[in-house]
Amino acid sequence: MRRRVVLVDDHHMFRSGVKAELGDAVEVVGEAASVAEAVPLILALDPDVVLLDVHLPDGGGDVIINAVTLDRPGVRFLALSVSDAAEDVIAVIRAGARGYVTKTISGVELTEAIERVAEGDAVFSPRLAGFALDAFRGGEHVSGNAELDELTPREREVLQLIARGYMYKEIAARLHLSVKTVESHVSSVLRKLQLSNRHELTRWATQHRLV
Amino acid sequence: MAIPTFVRSSDDRVVAGVCASIARTLGVDPTLIRLVFALLALAGGAGVLLYLALWAWGSRLSPWIAAVLGLIGISAVLQALGLDNRVVAGIALVAGGLALIWRRGGSFGANAPLSALGVTLAAAGAVLVLADGGVHESVLAPGAVAGSLLLIAGPWLWRLAVDRDAERAARIRIEERDEMAARVHDSVLQTLALIQRHAAEPRKVAAYARRQERELRTWLYGDRTGGDSGSLVSLLSEAAADVEELHGVRVELASSGDCPADEGVSAVALAAREAMANSARHSGSDLVDVYAEVGGETISVFVRDRGNGFDLEAVPGDRRGLSDSIRARVQRAGGTATVSSTPGSGTEVELTLPRADA
Repeated sequence: MRRRVVLVDDHHMFRSGVKAELGDAVEVVGEAASVAEAVPLILALDPDVVLLDVHLPDGGGDVIINAVTLDRPGVRFLALSVSDAAEDVIAVIRAGARGYVTKTISGVELTEAIERVAEGDAVFSPRLAGFALDAFRGGEHVSGNAELDELTPREREVLQLIARGYMYKEIAARLHLSVKTVESHVSSVLRKLQLSNRHELTRWATQHRLV
Repeated sequence: MAIPTFVRSSDDRVVAGVCASIARTLGVDPTLIRLVFALLALAGGAGVLLYLALWAWGSRLSPWIAAVLGLIGISAVLQALGLDNRVVAGIALVAGGLALIWRRGGSFGANAPLSALGVTLAAAGAVLVLADGGVHESVLAPGAVAGSLLLIAGPWLWRLAVDRDAERAARIRIEERDEMAARVHDSVLQTLALIQRHAAEPRKVAAYARRQERELRTWLYGDRTGGDSGSLVSLLSEAAADVEELHGVRVELASSGDCPADEGVSAVALAAREAMANSARHSGSDLVDVYAEVGGETISVFVRDRGNGFDLEAVPGDRRGLSDSIRARVQRAGGTATVSSTPGSGTEVELTLPRADA
């Protein structure tokens, strides 16, 4: 079954480009150019996946997620952006997006990412993996919840391979794991990014921009 | 300089709502204002005239009717205060003259011609007042001169100051726009021209576009980017941009941590650049992934492609790129270079360097 997708981006040219690249692999059921357009559209269409620009003229992507997530808990969000400020990206992730990919991603990779997000898994671009490694690097944990504040050695290994440009299949082969296990490690890192109160996380996000 | 105005009160009114609206503007009890007008009405009917003047103004009738009525009203008040007719007439002339002068100054900017009629009226009024001797000249003279100069020149000075601020703001805006225009012309328009000329060569077009994107981003977010100039990450991102432009491939750069570039770090960055160029030239893949990790003790850089790969044993000894530029360079800096490649599934070069400052 083809996934039903809504595109949210303020650039018309970019939306048509993405639509052309996705081709018949998914069904693009709606498009929006702003927060004000996107919220009622997503509520009405109830799509499987929303491809979301982190930055819109009238607000961040996180505003959209917060506005629909209660009424449409089944909708998954994937942030798709020209490398923006880390704080914007982390805001979208913490609002509940299942991943972040850069706009230079190829059509095939994007289709895979949509499928993965629709299944409830997480999607990390190399850049987001590097960010997560950086944010969870060393240091003391503050919130008293070590489970949320630190990455396991295995999660670290998986993230490093993602950052180096490996695909889940390749990572699984290299670490002698199943693809499902790799996916669960990535989802676990996503959960930590979303829930950890680690102060490095916010400090890092405000100091760095993803370039 | 907005002239204060008011709209007659329509809900709280005894005659025409003038008193109520004055009271509202001043924030006092309307009864008080009405009392004042009633008392003024006893002063030769001045209160009535003033009331009519304000009513005319509030009703958007001709301002001249309001002005004339007001002048007569105020004259009546002054007469009632015991000043003789000539002084009252003088003050009325001065007031009328100043009103004309101010109106010009307020309406037409700094370069508005002086109202000759206004000056004449004001001067005639002053002569009337001073020549009469009804006021002590010695007390009045210095203050009066200074005061009247200020009254006449004030609106122009004010207007001049406002104009100068506006002019400066406009100049700054223009300078900023010029800088932006120069930047856009130097880089963006040139790139667009190149893209049009090479429209049939998608690889070149993509490389131009990505190069331009990087440049623009550096300029827009320059001081807030991940790497400081002269850091490992900034060197790698320069290298990535060059390789993209030269070879028409996409280079994705990810990083965790960063460090300032000393000699060893620069050597690693140069070796990484060579590895990117190798991948671009030989792998047949159009994507190269680069990941830099700066840990407490070591620096690692990975350069990876998903292209042809090659048999390490079969590399001819004269492939200088791999042996000299990559391996030897990193080894001289005290690090190691490891190349792993499988025919058919790509190549990865791993560069590691112990941190000099660790």
